[in-house]
Amino acid sequence: MDIEESKKIIVEKLTKKSKTKSKFYLKDFYKMIPDEKPRAVKNLVNQMVKEEILEYWSSGSTTMIGLKGVGKQASAEDEA
Amino acid sequence: MAFVSSGYNPDKPMENRITDIGPRKYDEFYPEVIAKNKGKWLYHEILDPGVLVHVSETGDEVYTVRVGGARLMSVTHIREICEIADKHCGGHVRFTTRNNIEFMVDNKEKLEPLKNDLKNRKFNGGSLKFPIGGTGAGITNIIHTQGWIHCHTPATDASGTVKAAMDVLYDDFTSMRLPAHLRVSMACCLNMCGAVHCSDIAILGYHRKPPMLDHEYLDKMCEIPLAVSACPTAAIKPAKVKLANGKEVKSVVIKNERCMFCGNCYTMCPSMPLADDVGDGIVLMAGGKVSNRISAPKFSKVVVAFIPNEMPRWPTMTDTIKRMVDVYAKGANKYERFGEWAERIGWERFFDICELDFTHHLIDDFRDPAYYTWRQTSQFKF
Amino acid sequence: MAKHETPLLDQLESGPWPSFVSDLKQEAESRAKNEKNMEYQIPVDAVDDLLGVLELSYKHGRTHWKHGGIVGVFGYGGGVIGRYCDQPEMFPGVAHFHTMRVNQPAGKFYTTEYLNNLCDLWEFRGSGITNMHGSTGDIILIGTETRQLEEVFYELTHTYNQDLGGSGSNLRTPADCIGQARCEYACYDTQAICHELTQEYQDELHRPAFPYKFKFKFDGCPNCCVASIARSDMSYIGTWRDEIRIDAEAVKGYVGGEIPSNAGAHSGRDWGPFDIQKEVIDLCPTGCMIYENDELKINNKECTRCMHCINVMPRALRIGNDRGCSILVGAKAPILDGAQMGSLLVPFIKVEEPYDEIKEVIENVWDWWMEEGKNRERLGELIKRQGFQKLLEMTNIKAVPQHVQEPRSNPYIFWREDEVEGGWERDVVEYRKHHQR
Repeated sequence: MDIEESKKIIVEKLTKKSKTKSKFYLKDFYKMIPDEKPRAVKNLVNQMVKEEILEYWSSGSTTMIGLKGVGKQASAEDEA
Repeated sequence: MAFVSSGYNPDKPMENRITDIGPRKYDEFYPEVIAKNKGKWLYHEILDPGVLVHVSETGDEVYTVRVGGARLMSVTHIREICEIADKHCGGHVRFTTRNNIEFMVDNKEKLEPLKNDLKNRKFNGGSLKFPIGGTGAGITNIIHTQGWIHCHTPATDASGTVKAAMDVLYDDFTSMRLPAHLRVSMACCLNMCGAVHCSDIAILGYHRKPPMLDHEYLDKMCEIPLAVSACPTAAIKPAKVKLANGKEVKSVVIKNERCMFCGNCYTMCPSMPLADDVGDGIVLMAGGKVSNRISAPKFSKVVVAFIPNEMPRWPTMTDTIKRMVDVYAKGANKYERFGEWAERIGWERFFDICELDFTHHLIDDFRDPAYYTWRQTSQFKF
Repeated sequence: MAKHETPLLDQLESGPWPSFVSDLKQEAESRAKNEKNMEYQIPVDAVDDLLGVLELSYKHGRTHWKHGGIVGVFGYGGGVIGRYCDQPEMFPGVAHFHTMRVNQPAGKFYTTEYLNNLCDLWEFRGSGITNMHGSTGDIILIGTETRQLEEVFYELTHTYNQDLGGSGSNLRTPADCIGQARCEYACYDTQAICHELTQEYQDELHRPAFPYKFKFKFDGCPNCCVASIARSDMSYIGTWRDEIRIDAEAVKGYVGGEIPSNAGAHSGRDWGPFDIQKEVIDLCPTGCMIYENDELKINNKECTRCMHCINVMPRALRIGNDRGCSILVGAKAPILDGAQMGSLLVPFIKVEEPYDEIKEVIENVWDWWMEEGKNRERLGELIKRQGFQKLLEMTNIKAVPQHVQEPRSNPYIFWREDEVEGGWERDVVEYRKHHQR
């Protein structure tokens, strides 16, 4: 997998959808990079969190992932 | 208050960051007698309710005093536990899966001073700090969830219902008169972060009203697709809604009859609260077990569909539990767990002698497994 | 003087059982007094306000908490649960009141030094209120502000060599029973494997890897004290495959009443003298035991290791020597598709370092679930949806009768083409030579 290319695809796809929805399940990322093994995509997504491109959002029982700082949760949570 | 830094630099979160180190290694914390005899234990015996001895093939013995505790615990209380452990147990203490505290000593002579010390400690309000018990054919501590102290979707309180129930069941915590051990568990909503579905008796908080919709704020506070996808039964749909002032806003509608009252939408969207003083209350379940002893593990069954929340002590709930325990204690054979007893006498007889109403709510209608719970024989009792 | 009146909660101070209300009050008082002159990093009246908001819930019959999902420590997808009070002006001390999960040591043994250190940290940087422990097994630190999360994490990792536990779509903090540390029934070292797998899978524990939560639990024997069979996606239950060891002299001791049966667990009532026939032989689910001529005999080949006889006579009967564990998969609480008990996948496997065979089972299961599991679908639900046979295929495990309670009662076997001789492609012209239209 071309890491930089994959990162670009992920950011583009998330940006496109960000008007209606800012948080995604890990599974949604698998679909963005369909040729890669889920484990490789998972590792890339987690790497992008470390690079502060993405961030986690946890419901307690599940974890979602989105572009850092994007979405309505930040203000709803009074942490913006 | 002045902010005191730990050394963490918010501008460079990765600087000197330590991650993925896991928990401390268990054997750092073993008391000497445990470290020495691990894997060598021959047998154990319950000397008194709450007091055990384990005997090793090396001849060593370890005496354990088990005490109940509210799992909600302050640092002041934990420090008192530590003080006792320092005084009697060489600075070691253990907690059990069911939120009990275990003090261990390596010599019988250390037992009485430890017990006396524990017995004499009371909270200012009068309750015991360290009741000794929770062993053998009795009722041990109730495992439970957060409830109103800290959770956003509970249908009742957890610590309060447990305190009220344990006060009523206290005699069976400190004695071993039951036919077998009896496990009570509490979860404050159907998500069951405390898995109560295989308990002899389970207290379960339950909502009965679908969420309210704060249309004016919903689209501002929440991302509608996330609220929609949070629903496990697909009861939520996006919709345009007209407010009282005539303004049309983006929001959602709920197919109320499909709502299973889980609160998952409220987790994603604070504009969909579902808590309600009248709608919320308690479900009682009974007859589950996890042990493979004699019969296979079993799920608990719903025996009371709804009891209102009666703060602060939930008397209808505690009376019902107490009645079930007493009828079981009287009727079950030695070694028979609650569910095994109910199955032997038949659930129709169970409702009869426990004086519980049977209503249509108790007949399963949720998906395929329901069919297997209906009676498919001419054998039944009148 | 308490900050808020709590007439409803005050009624939970009486009665024998330890009162959490009294405990909260003593903590509120301790903070107000601040005898150690501590520079509290969250409001001094946090516990007062916690009592206040709880009293309000008792009055209203409704919770006053909201969920928050953003807060956490950098780079971890779990371990922190965000909480906000919905009456922040009334209770500013708990306006932002997040939970942290701290990964407990296997077996939950502690030194007081460790606990005291944790108390000092949590009193200083948090509310001083905990759960010992949460349902999954973690030490739960209840209530701190967002800014303190990183500070607490920094001190935990740097000073106390201690990490957070799991939440969200992660591997959840594994938990075990007391095991061989103090139990003669334990068939393997639950603490050793619990710790080893926790360490091995740190990445899965801290960062989302799966469609939903995943739990490991380790029970040393079929008594299942940590309830692994009911509440873990992968449950390890100790067992053995040779003979129950019998001490014939001790059996006589039980029969003669010299040794208390069931390790004294029934001593609170007069059940009459111990009757080995009635209490052991007749209750054995397989009928594999007899007692005649003062001798106990077990037909071990027929034994299903339910533990009853061993529980009743622990000094006479002991678990076998050829020990390991059974692995059951797919247990979960009811939501959504109803509760599921673990289903037997591996009847017997040795539990020995470095646990390579066990890790292979785990990773095969994960690969399948990561690929095929839907969002928020637990492993047990995937097994139901795609079938137990698929699970066997994905884990390269051969079907054996032990896998089922009973064979299927419908004959609708969906044969695969490669299982049928000659395949499914046939020549209809050839067929018509012998069969008219």
